[in-house]
Amino acid sequence: MNVRVMTAAARSAMSAPAAGAPAPAHIAARALAVDFTVEGRRQRVLNDINIAVPKGSFVSLIGPSGCGKSTLLKVMAGLVPPTEGEVTVAGVSPLEAVKARLIGLVFQEATLLPWKNALENAAFLLMTADETIKRADAYDRAAAMLKLVGLDGAEKKRPNQLSGGMRQRVAIARALALDPEVLLMDEPFGALDAITREEMSECLLDIWERTHKTIVLVTHSIDEAVFLSREVHVMGTGPARIIETLPITLPHPRTEESYSAPGFATAEARLRSLLIESHRRDRR
Amino acid sequence: MTDATLDAPAASGSSALGKWLRSLMPALLLALGLVVFWEVAIRLFNVPTFVLPAPSAIFEALVKHWKPLLIAARATSLEVLFGFVLSAIVGILVALVIVRFERFGRALYPLIVLFQNVPKVALAPIFILWFGYDLAPKILLIVVIAFFPVAIDMLAGLQSVEPSFVSLMRSVGASKGKIMLRVRIPHSLPHLMAGLKVAITFSVIGAIVGEFAGANQGLGYVIQFASTQLDTPLIFAALIVVSVLGLAFYYVVELAEYLLVPWAPKFDPIHSAG
Repeated sequence: MNVRVMTAAARSAMSAPAAGAPAPAHIAARALAVDFTVEGRRQRVLNDINIAVPKGSFVSLIGPSGCGKSTLLKVMAGLVPPTEGEVTVAGVSPLEAVKARLIGLVFQEATLLPWKNALENAAFLLMTADETIKRADAYDRAAAMLKLVGLDGAEKKRPNQLSGGMRQRVAIARALALDPEVLLMDEPFGALDAITREEMSECLLDIWERTHKTIVLVTHSIDEAVFLSREVHVMGTGPARIIETLPITLPHPRTEESYSAPGFATAEARLRSLLIESHRRDRR
Repeated sequence: MTDATLDAPAASGSSALGKWLRSLMPALLLALGLVVFWEVAIRLFNVPTFVLPAPSAIFEALVKHWKPLLIAARATSLEVLFGFVLSAIVGILVALVIVRFERFGRALYPLIVLFQNVPKVALAPIFILWFGYDLAPKILLIVVIAFFPVAIDMLAGLQSVEPSFVSLMRSVGASKGKIMLRVRIPHSLPHLMAGLKVAITFSVIGAIVGEFAGANQGLGYVIQFASTQLDTPLIFAALIVVSVLGLAFYYVVELAEYLLVPWAPKFDPIHSAG
């Protein structure tokens, strides 16, 4: 009963800004299309993508494998140039955003340097991005970020002494050490077991609530998307595009109990049916 | 608390040494058995010494000729050392050039592979013809034989970096050179060390072959000289010195690997095969 009341309240709270003037998008794609040339053949990987991620929001991209969700993330990160259309991050092109150090990246693999410990790994990208930073300052910042991801005490450990979940925490700390405005994550928990995943989801949610970064998450997991996001973009293949955008109205702060909130099951079911539908269409 | 943590590594260290010795036991026993069998067989069947000397006769030659063997070993070591270092430098440079200048690399790589198929041993007489009987032709022969594994392994190492790592570096605006220096080259070091281990054994072979083709010193020269005198025990004695030398060189490289890239995956020949 109580939960239902909270959900309704949150829903009205969430819809308020949407009803008024829409907040300027922090990350925006307009009529974006991307072609790849594979073995001499041009192939459209992304088609007519329109997306607007409000500042400080948490948005997920979900869809079947090969639907181009990772490519969309790479376009936002300036790693893949758009063929048509336009993408802006904080009002500038992704490449300029890279130069201004606005972007933090996290991949499925933690990609830590095996010869450096957790602290040095967390400071590594910051020191690469900013040659003038003093080593002590970079380490201080990295240590603070390791603390934020719950790894204080493990600073001196090398990657091979850390569990998969801990390695991924270091990767997140490394991205946060850059103090980016947006955090782009490509299936960051995809290689972890179910319990570690849930732990990491809560950790990420906690980070988001504390830092108010704009986060875009690519995921395969429906409940991960529902639990974490304020908005889920469902993508489909052939040609790759966004099928539907689903707002998730679960109240914040979200906790373990959010999984059993009535809104959770509804959103989950809706996402599942959208994904199954796109899968069926794909097979035909 | 402190005592316990201090004790732990010491205890595990001594047991590790014991374990290592115990793991070596079967090989030592087998070797000893083979030597005894060899000795007994030679005596039993009265095999002439110039055909196959008994281990005792080889040991005798080793003791008798220790001084010329030592001088020869020094000459060979020098060739191996210079040749190996130069092979390493050439191999590393070739790999770096192929990766850094992609287009040129695409042209260079097939030529190197083609050259690898030339029987290098057959080049020895040509090098002698060009450079005489000194150090130079031996070093050149070693480089020609030993740079290839270095180049190939280094190349594999440079290209083994996960693509997401490169993406990560690019996402903070790192240049190609910076990615090379900070990520690719350090990542390639374990591969490079594997290549260097192959190269050092090739270097010893190269030095001996070079000395066969024409030399007035070195262990290869001793072997050839002894064979003209039908002094088979001396041939075997020189062979033993060559083997010990090669083993010593190999373990120096392995030690360097242990010190320089302690994060390198450890190779276990028996269990990795299983």
